[in-house]
Amino acid sequence: MTVAVEKTPARKLPRWLARHETLLAVILVIALLGLGAFNERFLTFDNLLNQGRLMTEIGLIALPMTFVIITGGIDLSVGAIVGLCAIMLGYSWKTFGFPLPLAIVFSLFVGGLAGFVNGLVITRVKVPPLIMTIATLALYRGLAEGVSQAHSVRGYPEWFYFLGQGSLYRVPTQLLVLVVLVVVAGVALDRTTFGRTLYAIGSNETAARFSALNVDRAKLIVYTLSGLASALAAFVLVSRVTTTRMDMGMGYELDVIAAVVLGGTSIFGGSGTIWGTAIGLAMIQLLKNGLALTGVKGDATIVVIGAALILSVLVASSLQRRRD
Amino acid sequence: MKTKYLLTTAAAIAVAAWATGANAAGKWDGGDDLATSPLECGAGAAAAAAPMKYDGGQPTNPPDKAGKEITIVDVPKLIGIGYFNATSKGIQDAAKELGNVKAKTDGPTEAKIDEQIKFIDNYITSGVDGILFAANDPVAIAPVLKKALSKGIHVIGYDANSTPDAREWFVNQSPFNGIAKAMMDAMAKEIGEDGSFGIVTSTFTTPNQARWIAEMQAYAAKCHPKMQWLETVEAQEDNNLSFNQATTLINKYGDKLKGLFGMTSVATPASAEAVTKAGLCGKVAVVGLATPNAMKPYVHADCVKSVVLWNPIDLGYAATYVMRAVEDGKLKPGATSVDAGKLGKLNVINGSEILLGPPFIYDKGNIDKFDF
Repeated sequence: MTVAVEKTPARKLPRWLARHETLLAVILVIALLGLGAFNERFLTFDNLLNQGRLMTEIGLIALPMTFVIITGGIDLSVGAIVGLCAIMLGYSWKTFGFPLPLAIVFSLFVGGLAGFVNGLVITRVKVPPLIMTIATLALYRGLAEGVSQAHSVRGYPEWFYFLGQGSLYRVPTQLLVLVVLVVVAGVALDRTTFGRTLYAIGSNETAARFSALNVDRAKLIVYTLSGLASALAAFVLVSRVTTTRMDMGMGYELDVIAAVVLGGTSIFGGSGTIWGTAIGLAMIQLLKNGLALTGVKGDATIVVIGAALILSVLVASSLQRRRD
Repeated sequence: MKTKYLLTTAAAIAVAAWATGANAAGKWDGGDDLATSPLECGAGAAAAAAPMKYDGGQPTNPPDKAGKEITIVDVPKLIGIGYFNATSKGIQDAAKELGNVKAKTDGPTEAKIDEQIKFIDNYITSGVDGILFAANDPVAIAPVLKKALSKGIHVIGYDANSTPDAREWFVNQSPFNGIAKAMMDAMAKEIGEDGSFGIVTSTFTTPNQARWIAEMQAYAAKCHPKMQWLETVEAQEDNNLSFNQATTLINKYGDKLKGLFGMTSVATPASAEAVTKAGLCGKVAVVGLATPNAMKPYVHADCVKSVVLWNPIDLGYAATYVMRAVEDGKLKPGATSVDAGKLGKLNVINGSEILLGPPFIYDKGNIDKFDF
C-alpha cells in the first residue's frame, strides 16, 4: 500500500513509519487496548462487530468522499441524498407501487443522479463544489420533505431487513459489504489510472488538464459515486432502523468528512488514502463507543472526539514538516 | 446551526408551493396509521376507554432483582433542554426516594433517532438493568429496544412511545385527545370561534407532536369548525429555528394571524418571543406546550395567557417507580394499577400504558408555584 505521489527528498524516519495511516493505526491500537483495560465489555467480539454495523453508513459514504476530497473538492450534500434516497425507496414502494427490489434500484438510481447533477454543475458551470453542494444539500432535503410530506414509511417485509440487521457467520451483513467496497475503492485509488488521475487533479488541476487527463470526466464520476454510495447508505440505514424518515442522514456530511480528514486526507486535495479513511472511521466509532461504555456521557464524548481530531491534525502536520 | 437554517429556508423555497399548500389543507394522520378520537366538546371528563389486553413486550430471562440495587439509564429524545432536564430530575428524585436505584440520564444533543439508537445500543453492551426512553421515532427505535428485551433488560417508555411490543410499559403523560382539547379550547377562548392560527411544531413525524396535531384537527372539526388553520411549520426542537419560523408566520399572514400554537417546549417560548419582538402582544395569542420557567416572563407580561402541560418531573418520577415495580415483579401484564410513591396509584390504560393524569394549564395565577 504505497502511494506514488509522495515526494520526499530526505527522510529521517523510515517512510512506512512516518505515514499518517501507520501512525493512526498505532494510535488506534493503543486506544483500543487502553479502553479495553478500562471496560471488559469493550474489547469483545460482539461489541466490535456491532460497532461495525453502526458505522457502515458513514463508512460507505466516506469512500467516495475520500476521492472527492483528493480531487480538491467537497460534497456536503451526502446527508441530504441519504434522506432523499430513503424517501424515494419507501415512497416508490408504498405509494407508487413498485415492487421492493425495483424500488431499491430506483432509489440507487436517484442517488446516482443526485450526485451526477452535483458533478455536472461543478464541471460545466464551474460552480465551486462547496457552494454547489450546500445548495443541493438544501434542495435534496427539501425534495425529500416535499415528496414525503414528512410522513414515514414502515412495514417492510422481513427479507428487507437482512442487509441492515442480519449477519453472515456472525458478521453483520452490511459490514461485509463495507469491507468489500473498502478494498475495491482502495485498490482503485492506489493501482489504477483513475486513482492517479484523482491525485493529479488535486495536486494541480491545470497541470492535469495540460497532461491531457480527462479532468471533468473524473470529477463527474467521483460526484456520481458519492451520490450512489449515499443511496446505498440510505438502503442500509432504512433496513437497519426498519423505517423511512425524511430527516434521515441529517448531519452525516460532517461525520463523513471528519472520518476522511482524520484518516489523513488533505482537505486541500492531492493526498490521502482509502486505508487512512477506514482507520479514521474505525477510530471515531470505537472512541465514541469505548468512552460511552467507560461511563463518559454523550456531551463529553463529543469534546473528546473534537480534541482527537485537532491532535491528529497537529501530529500529521508536524510529521509533514519533518518529511519535507 | 447555520446549515440547518439555510437548509430550512432553501428547502422552503424549493418546495414552497408544494409543501405549504398541502400542509395547510391536507388532513393530518399523526405520522402513524391510527384513527383520531376527539373528545366531547365543552367541559366534562373523558369517557373511559374499553379495557384492552396487555400488548407490551417482555424481556427474555431477566435476572431477579427484587429488592436489590439496580442500575438504570434514561435515554431521552435529547439532553440539555428544560423539559428533559425536568424529567431527569424526577427520575433522580424517585431514585433517591427509593434508595436502591442508580439512575443516570444520557442521550443525543439533538433529537436524532440514529444517535439515540447508538446510545441505547451502547448501554445494552455496557449492561444495565433497565432502560427508560422517550422515542424520537416509534418504529425506528423498536429493533434496538427489542434487542434490550432479548438480553433480559427491562424497558419502560415515557413521554414518547415506541411500538407496544418493543417495551414493557409506557408512562403516558396525558392522552393525546386530552391535550388536543385543552389546546384548542384555550385558543378558541382567546381568539374567538372564527380566529385563524398557525402552528410551530418539531417535525411532521415526531410521534407526540404529529399525533396531537391530528387530534387537534379532529377536535377542531368537531367543536370549533369555524376556526381557520393557516399553516404548520417544522422547527425541529431548535430555539433559533422556532423563533425564525414563528416570525415567518407572523410576517407572512400579517393581520390574518390571530394565534400561534407551540407544539414543543422549545417552540412555545420561541413563538412568544417572536410575538413580543414583533410588538404584537395581545394581538397574536400564543398557546402551547412548555415548561413554566421558560414561560414566566411572557405570562407576566400578559403576552401568553395559557400554557398547557403535565408536570414532567412527575413523569420522570412515575417512570422510575414503574421500572422499580417491574424489577420487583410487582407490575405484571394484566395489572390495572401501579403504586407510584407520592403520586399514589396510577391506572393502566390501553393495555400497557400507565396514565399520569389530565393535562394542566398554567396561567398567571398559578405559574409561580412551579419551578422547572
